[in-house]
Amino acid sequence: MFEKLKSRLKEVRNKLDSGINEAATREGQPAEVPAAEKRPAGSTGLVDRVKVLIVDRELVISESDISEALSELEIVLLENDVAFPVTEEIIANLVKELVGKRRKIGEPVDAIVLSALKKALGDVLGEGFDIINYIKTHEHPVKILFTGVNGTGKTTTVAKIGYFLKKNGFSVVIGAGDTFRAGAIEQIDVHAQRIGIKIIQHQQGGDPSAVLFDTVQYAVAHNVDVVLADTAGRFHNRANLMNQLEKIRRVMKPDLIVYVDEAVAGNDAVIRADEFEKTVGADAVVLTKADMDPRGGAAISIAHTIGKPLMFLGTGQGYDDISPFSPEKVIEELFGDVA
Amino acid sequence: MLDKLGSSLKDALKKLAGKTVVDRAAVEELVKDLQRALLQSDVNVKLVMGLSNAIKKRSLEEELPKGVNVREHVLRIVYQELVNLMGDGGEVKLGAQTILMAGLQGSGKTTTTAKLARYFQRKGLRVGVICADTFRPGAYEQISTLCSKINIPCFGDPKEKDALKLVRDGLPSMSGLEVVIIDTQGRHALENDLIQEIIDINTISKATHRWLVIDAALGQQASEQARRFHEAIAIDGVIITKMDGTAKGGGALSAGLTLTASFPGSSAWGI
Repeated sequence: MFEKLKSRLKEVRNKLDSGINEAATREGQPAEVPAAEKRPAGSTGLVDRVKVLIVDRELVISESDISEALSELEIVLLENDVAFPVTEEIIANLVKELVGKRRKIGEPVDAIVLSALKKALGDVLGEGFDIINYIKTHEHPVKILFTGVNGTGKTTTVAKIGYFLKKNGFSVVIGAGDTFRAGAIEQIDVHAQRIGIKIIQHQQGGDPSAVLFDTVQYAVAHNVDVVLADTAGRFHNRANLMNQLEKIRRVMKPDLIVYVDEAVAGNDAVIRADEFEKTVGADAVVLTKADMDPRGGAAISIAHTIGKPLMFLGTGQGYDDISPFSPEKVIEELFGDVA
Repeated sequence: MLDKLGSSLKDALKKLAGKTVVDRAAVEELVKDLQRALLQSDVNVKLVMGLSNAIKKRSLEEELPKGVNVREHVLRIVYQELVNLMGDGGEVKLGAQTILMAGLQGSGKTTTTAKLARYFQRKGLRVGVICADTFRPGAYEQISTLCSKINIPCFGDPKEKDALKLVRDGLPSMSGLEVVIIDTQGRHALENDLIQEIIDINTISKATHRWLVIDAALGQQASEQARRFHEAIAIDGVIITKMDGTAKGGGALSAGLTLTASFPGSSAWGI
């Protein structure tokens, strides 16, 4: 998903390299001139002194050396849907990493730039979330509640995660908590049948809290490992719907609240993630539709702004199209071409 | 939409008040505020850069017309360039037509289909809906439930796997109706099979209009997706959905640039 960001980052890296290198040649020359003038004096220690001046001399990277490349990086990140505040933070991290850093003239620039970029991105990516390990180390049934705005792919994600957990040897029950949208119960019901998972459902228009309460009761009675609770999409600026979610939370007492959003969302992703976090909380994030977009900047932004780990990335329409998120892998993918 | 832009523009323009010549620093600051506001609203980066360069260039180069102060002069340029950026709003014709709905997964095509059907029905037209979404479970149940609530005939078959067949069979059953809306499954630009499918549906249905449904929260990806849909089936209208959230719709706006009609959907709750 990161192809585009990756190639653009490479250009910026080269620019940073050359910015720093230019500064090096500028400063490198005057170092030689006084050395040559002194030569007639002819002391034996001189050769060593020149060597120290040219080879071991350290350069301090200044902000002006990299400012052009930095503003280009800013545009690159914005173009790739990295949200505005997050972009600013990455740039600030990078400046902190690079400016004032001493390096020796002989030392290659590439390594310094690369590690600084990796660190700047790593800082905002955060850590992933190991769901398998979480389920193993917590009391069963582990109750997971899915939330998010309309059309982000909650229902599909519930089905995919159900399938993923089933393949990993856990027993799963799904609660059809979207009682609002027409066709939602039919949708999750078909998914559950296809992947062979038990589903608890009520009528359309019923109380979602009641459905999910029943689902938890079923899980307790039948020793099921994991409860996946689907809910209706809702906007964060609708108080009554957020209250309903709050009620669901009180009634079913989820162990984990997973916030679902799409990887192609723009700056609003950050605003609504924040609202959901404030009203009902969120322990982890799943980003869907990551296959739509070769950029993937929203993934970076949301993970950072909500301050919660990314659990999964949805990458297609099949049940297998979901991959556990690992920040190391993303950074590896972004800079993977470097030897 | 873009409400924040208004206030930041006002602040920036204040700085130009009382000046006799156009001040480069003030213009640059104004442009910077403008860029920030537009980018935060997901307007395409390239569009923003083009717009800000045009404003900068015109403000500094164009001669100040007589009797106009600097502030008014710059304001006029900003206004004209913003109008250029927005493009024209589209007009929805009331008459016999076939409308093909297209868009990404979860953008709100089915809900919008029902809302449109209701809209045309209220204008006194006879409307029918064809459900050509053969992929998503529950899609037919969803649209047929919505349609039955508003007494609109809905053609579809949840067991049929061939969307083309549904359209081919559905159209004759809609004869006698004036407006036919074809709902399709969600797809994105990188899914070549599905793009081919919608090209075929467009050909078979001889649709009068092909409307692209775009989520207001869609980011920088919007323009690229719209371009690919446009290449495939010549989109002639954009509908922005979920404007009742906090998204500013800048992505969708960027998507609509090459296209004409727009018809913002306002709420998911009740049609």
